[in-house]
Amino acid sequence: MSRELLVGTRKGLFVLRDGTVEGPLLTGWQIYHAIRDRRDGALYAASNHFVYGATVHRSSDDGQTWERAEELGLPEESGLKLNATWHVERGPGSELWLGGDPGVLFRSDDGGTTFEPIAGLVEHPTRDRWQPGAGGMCCHSIQIADGKLYAAISAAGSFRSEDGGESWTPINQGVAADFFPDNPFPEVGQCVHKLLAHPAREGRLWQQNHCGVYRSDDHGDTWERLEGNGLPSGFGFPIALDPADPDVAYVVPEEGAENRVTCDGRLGVYRTGDGGANWTLEETGLPDRAWLAVMREGMAFDDTRVYLGMQSGSVFARGEDGAWSEVARDLPPILSVEVGDWP
Amino acid sequence: MLLPSLLAAEAGGRGRFETDAGTIAEALRALPVADLLLDERGELRPLVNVYVDGIDVREREGLETRLDGPEKIRVLAAIAGGWL
Repeated sequence: MSRELLVGTRKGLFVLRDGTVEGPLLTGWQIYHAIRDRRDGALYAASNHFVYGATVHRSSDDGQTWERAEELGLPEESGLKLNATWHVERGPGSELWLGGDPGVLFRSDDGGTTFEPIAGLVEHPTRDRWQPGAGGMCCHSIQIADGKLYAAISAAGSFRSEDGGESWTPINQGVAADFFPDNPFPEVGQCVHKLLAHPAREGRLWQQNHCGVYRSDDHGDTWERLEGNGLPSGFGFPIALDPADPDVAYVVPEEGAENRVTCDGRLGVYRTGDGGANWTLEETGLPDRAWLAVMREGMAFDDTRVYLGMQSGSVFARGEDGAWSEVARDLPPILSVEVGDWP
Repeated sequence: MLLPSLLAAEAGGRGRFETDAGTIAEALRALPVADLLLDERGELRPLVNVYVDGIDVREREGLETRLDGPEKIRVLAAIAGGWL
């Protein structure tokens, strides 16, 4: 196995391997997220086109040829139409999960040929209080940990299922929705930008939200806001973790909702090593005269490195020594990065 | 029927199809890229244009536009300039 980075862009999918850039694959498609399934080596891409709509592509020959999933549909009685596919996630068994806009989750049990919408979210009793964020009402985060399934939707909030997706509990207690000044801590409606579960610490979740960075140690039942302690801003989109250390996280703060560029005229990654109590700027190898933006799927990590894909088309990687280096540049605007294992 | 390059790629590299369908809806539904032309309710996607002998089907009977046999059907993505 060799390590690879799958880079989804506005103009197709690129694959970074051993210092080379392959692609574009799926020419003309916007790749919101892509993964390689370790079980069989298949590639999956949440692919969208402004004319031809939203779909999922699958390749079993390393991107030489692609098959498109059968039409993705939502129940007619729901009145919903699929606007975009956002995130693909492997399940612990043979299943595959797909998040989409408008706040919907699909499951495939046939290797991505067909996807069935999850009724428990389509028909969630709080849906009438959800609203789309600037990127739409996207289900962008799907996490499976400790036998629980987590889904995060902008701007509906985070949800947890303990019965395989049949029913969903909102888990937004303590998460602010400052854009609702009359009710800044509602049950749902929070604008979560990215949610991750730590793979080794049971119950530990992290989220980068429109209104701050948060950590939970009880499967999302309660959240602690982690700012005012080194972060120049609580606003940002991606978050990355260290699989070996549950107290480590990385974020890329932006000025704020009304000016979505990296803070202080530089590209700054902020790291915590103590569960979010303190954050420090990492600057070695990152440009210090820069006004950049990174999308919610624009960070990825493995056991040794952290990766950052920018809308400017550059990819940076953080080595074990804490220094960052540019490993690719001049790609189309980057929507996602994901680590894969190349068979 | 003629497809643009992205749709031809999605159709396995094939950009030209023959049809004996009676309507545009039937002709489009028979294509291997039907889901990219029609939305989940079976309606023509807003930025997909279909021309029969050079006339936009939206200026005729839409998806119910009748086909007699010799027509040339052309699928095109609408002009949509901007940030994309």
